[in-house]
Amino acid sequence: MADAIVAVEGLSKHFGPVLAVDDFSFTVERSQVWGLLGPNGAGKTTTLRILMGLERPSRGNVRLFDAPVTPSCPQLVRVGAMVEQAAFVPHLSGLTNLRLWWEANGARFADADLDGALAVAALGDAIHRKVRTYSQGMKQRLGFARLLLGRPELLVLDEPTNGLDPGEIREIRELIGRLTLQGATVLLSSHHLTEVEQVCSDVLVMNHGRLVASGTVSELIGAGSSVYVEVDDRERAYTVLSALPTVAGVLLQGDGLLVDLRDGRRSDLANALVGAGLRLETISANQNLEDAFLGLLDGDRVVS
Amino acid sequence: MISLVRTEFAKALRRGRTLAIGLALVGLPSLIVFAIHARGNGRGGDNGEGLFRLAHQSGLLVPAAVLEAMSAFLLIVIAGSIAGDIIAGDAASGNLRYLLMRPVRRGRLLVAKAFVAGTLIWGCTILVTVTALVGGVLFFGAHPITVPGLAIGSLFGGFHLTVTTLLERLAIATAYVAFGYSALLALGTFFSTVTDVPAGAIGATIGVYVVSEILDGITQLGVIRYGFPTHYLAAWEPMFTQNRFPHDMLAGVAVQLAYVAVFLSAALVWFNRKDIRS
Repeated sequence: MADAIVAVEGLSKHFGPVLAVDDFSFTVERSQVWGLLGPNGAGKTTTLRILMGLERPSRGNVRLFDAPVTPSCPQLVRVGAMVEQAAFVPHLSGLTNLRLWWEANGARFADADLDGALAVAALGDAIHRKVRTYSQGMKQRLGFARLLLGRPELLVLDEPTNGLDPGEIREIRELIGRLTLQGATVLLSSHHLTEVEQVCSDVLVMNHGRLVASGTVSELIGAGSSVYVEVDDRERAYTVLSALPTVAGVLLQGDGLLVDLRDGRRSDLANALVGAGLRLETISANQNLEDAFLGLLDGDRVVS
Repeated sequence: MISLVRTEFAKALRRGRTLAIGLALVGLPSLIVFAIHARGNGRGGDNGEGLFRLAHQSGLLVPAAVLEAMSAFLLIVIAGSIAGDIIAGDAASGNLRYLLMRPVRRGRLLVAKAFVAGTLIWGCTILVTVTALVGGVLFFGAHPITVPGLAIGSLFGGFHLTVTTLLERLAIATAYVAFGYSALLALGTFFSTVTDVPAGAIGATIGVYVVSEILDGITQLGVIRYGFPTHYLAAWEPMFTQNRFPHDMLAGVAVQLAYVAVFLSAALVWFNRKDIRS
């Protein structure tokens, strides 16, 4: 907790009768890369807006860099944020937009990491063109350039690849990956599960404003109920596993077996197979993050 | 604060809309000056009423006539469109959240934007006066004027206004007209914080002035009318038509200041508490 850059505790947010965020708590420590997952309307954007001081919480505590978040609080200068789509003054050039945004709070443009930011944006001479002539992908890249101008310690990214084509999505994903390799702390909200699986080390899953699950990506994937097993004698393993009370069903698949767990752990299966004298060659979760995510939403149960 | 004002000026001055307003505020006064010259040039034409009738005597009085014509509606529309857009415009484009995440303090941002909008409104009014002055002097020359006395039995006799006096009063009239949009600026700023739709804020701002002008024409409303933001807008005209500084000008300043105090305060409170959801 001492190294927590983001600390959210008991956060709730009402919009009239609608409860957008319900008793949500999490922390992000230095150099962690958290994914914030959830379907549309889960409360992800509201949470990030509260974190950035744009909205006030109805209840709970939100702290950034160990100081409470208030509208336009000074520690926001240490954060690079992209909340929903990047927005600019359309009748000004990309470069002028960067300069005016940077200077708006009195900072000198000479102090900004302009070279680094422009290298990220990779807009070439287009940086001198009016933003209204940019494609959505160019605007998003300029948005990344803007948030990197201040060499931020924390990146808060809300759906940064929305509206982009597959090539642009890959570019942005690789960019986030490079930033995380450089040690950036990242909180990434997305419903692109592949993006989160590839970029994030830890994941928070929200649904109906509540925390449904949290943990490392591998923990969440492993928490699913479907397990793939390979052994030296597939038929005998079928008989052994089918007899276990914690197994709901067994299917033969390829060189192995697909086991649907009712309530047990993978280690129960391993113990039973080894105990029956079988040689266990593979046992792994038979799902990716998408399966785990959808399974969590179906069950909407808390696993941590 | 200075840097924020500078960035807001840079954004406002490079807008195509600002250029279009500038062109309109040069073009329309020029047209009016030309019309005054063409219609009342001693060829049995119509010299018009009030300031327009006097404008033939001197190009220095033409700006007063043009201000009279433009201040009651067009300048209101322009000032309303500038004021109503200040926060809602940025909110609609999504820029507002990025400015606030910079971070820029909300109160400072609002004050800086209101200052820039106010300066633009003053600039628009001055542009009208200067354009009309240049056109007026070109067409009619820069002469002193003699205003004839009104009908027998009237309290007012004729009087003479020198070039210096005309220029001084023209400056006062321009400043009074520009200051007369302070209430509109405050109302527009407030509406601009309430909605994220610029057209809504602009419409509401201009709407209040239109309703105010309509209600101001209903004399049965009595003293209530004295509190309307448009009631004293034309209080400067007797400086030219009756050679006096009406007390109504002071009352007009007081009413404008009251609106500014109430609605700018309300805008600050509202904006500071508002959830930015755009």
